[in-house]
Amino acid sequence: MTTYLRNSLTYVWAFLVVISIASWWVGRGQVDNFQVNGIITTTVFLIAAIKARLVIRHFMEVQHGPQWLKLTCDAWLAFVFLWMFGFYWASL
Amino acid sequence: MTNTVETASAEDFYGRDTQTSLPGESSMWFFILGDLIIFGVYFISYMYYRGQDQALFLESQQHLSQGIGISNTVVLLTSSLFVALGTEAARHGKRQHAYRLIGFAFVLGLLFPVLKMAEWLPKVNAGLTPGENLFFMYYYLMTGLHLCHLVLGLVILAFVMRDLRVSTAPNIKFIEAGGTYWHMVDLLWLILLALFYLMR
Amino acid sequence: MSDFALGSGAASAPAGRPWYQNKKLDQYICFWSIPIFYNLFGLVFVPLSYMMPPRSPSSDMSEIVAFMQSPNLLIASSILILSLGLSAVGNAMYVSQIKRMSVSPVFIYAFLAGSMTGAIVGCLFPMFCFGLGAFRPGYDPEILAMLYDFGYLSFIGSLGCFCLNWGLLSLAIILDKNTILPKWLGYYTAWQFATELFAATVWAYKTGPFAWDGLMAFWFNMVIYVPWQIIVYVCIFKAIKAQPESELGNAQYEPKALYS
Repeated sequence: MTTYLRNSLTYVWAFLVVISIASWWVGRGQVDNFQVNGIITTTVFLIAAIKARLVIRHFMEVQHGPQWLKLTCDAWLAFVFLWMFGFYWASL
Repeated sequence: MTNTVETASAEDFYGRDTQTSLPGESSMWFFILGDLIIFGVYFISYMYYRGQDQALFLESQQHLSQGIGISNTVVLLTSSLFVALGTEAARHGKRQHAYRLIGFAFVLGLLFPVLKMAEWLPKVNAGLTPGENLFFMYYYLMTGLHLCHLVLGLVILAFVMRDLRVSTAPNIKFIEAGGTYWHMVDLLWLILLALFYLMR
Repeated sequence: MSDFALGSGAASAPAGRPWYQNKKLDQYICFWSIPIFYNLFGLVFVPLSYMMPPRSPSSDMSEIVAFMQSPNLLIASSILILSLGLSAVGNAMYVSQIKRMSVSPVFIYAFLAGSMTGAIVGCLFPMFCFGLGAFRPGYDPEILAMLYDFGYLSFIGSLGCFCLNWGLLSLAIILDKNTILPKWLGYYTAWQFATELFAATVWAYKTGPFAWDGLMAFWFNMVIYVPWQIIVYVCIFKAIKAQPESELGNAQYEPKALYS
């Protein structure tokens, strides 16, 4: 049991859960009245990107995979988040 | 039950040349990367249309249950952890452990559709159907497509569990491939959470 | 008299055998009908009648009337209804490969049923609607608008039948132990199936990305579909070529030389 608790995957998981809750917490001020808020959105997107990269690298084991796979996954992440954020920023 | 201490270093952990080997099967990676591209395009198109009518999207977002969204996130993250731990156990030949770990992951995975239904059914009853407005169409479609992927993932996990229980030498490549697919399902949900529930 | 080993298992003809003695002539004739069919469809749908890309569901009444009563539309519809039978051959090519796979015949029966339904509802109905509108001048604009909607909704909104087909094909390829078609094609076909599901949204919207001319319900699906359709037929061609001659129905017949 303790071997699982000390496993690096468990640390990654704990971090993921904490920052997931944090990304919810940043928006807790606006409960009934959602307003456009660049700061909340940027934080949420940044945290989502970090979580995504951690899942890809550690859970999906891309960390230990071939170089082309690492590059492709990072490229996908960067492309998707940049374009999503780009459209958001353009509408502000 | 052995008492070996598992270190977290990459070389011991995998016991193989880690720099070039693809985890799981290449055909599964083809599927995963293609699926990520398709979903990526959907996410980007959602952000484009959201930009056209922010007020509508913001107002509609408020109807979503953030509590269930976060709960589902924790459920999936934990399920992914168990799958990853189970894959590790399988690689070290610990079939029983792997079976139990992936079994836990499966049970957690079953919780996701239950929570989803608890989220959707009251909404649909209240008249918030996919045809209500663009936000809800995107919401139901994206989370619906994700749910279909998740159900397929549960089927795959069931086959992985069967392989662990039935064969004396479990098919590690298949277990890895199934695990990678499940992590992709988790990954997609993390982005869906940000786009539909949390962003402003 | 050409001499070759009976049931040799060789995939292709020994050198020197003329094309009309090819043991797979029947399959090749059927196969080459496919590019003819698709090109005909493409020419008729686009430059002849501009049925495709789909016109907007929220067009003006005057635009709808002008389109529905155009003579080109009548010609287009009659050509397409006539040549619709070729689609059966195209669909049968899939079935003949599924038959060689190590999966249950259920896949074949269901695929055939799906193809027939899809062709009737997804192609024949729209052609009747568009053809009817152009058949006589002077129809009430409301009737023309109804036929316009009927045509496009059945054309784009009936993708459920094809979803079934591609889902079956995808599953058959993935489960197949004979590797008739490559595994990655099975996964690509799965995306076809998933993206076509979105066509159901055309019933709910007349503008925006989920209308029948929208980004999500039509255009993005085309981006996935067009390469897939070409790739699938290329793979089927390769599968025909790679099939050992001993598996063919005419394996035991030796071709007689027409000219000695």
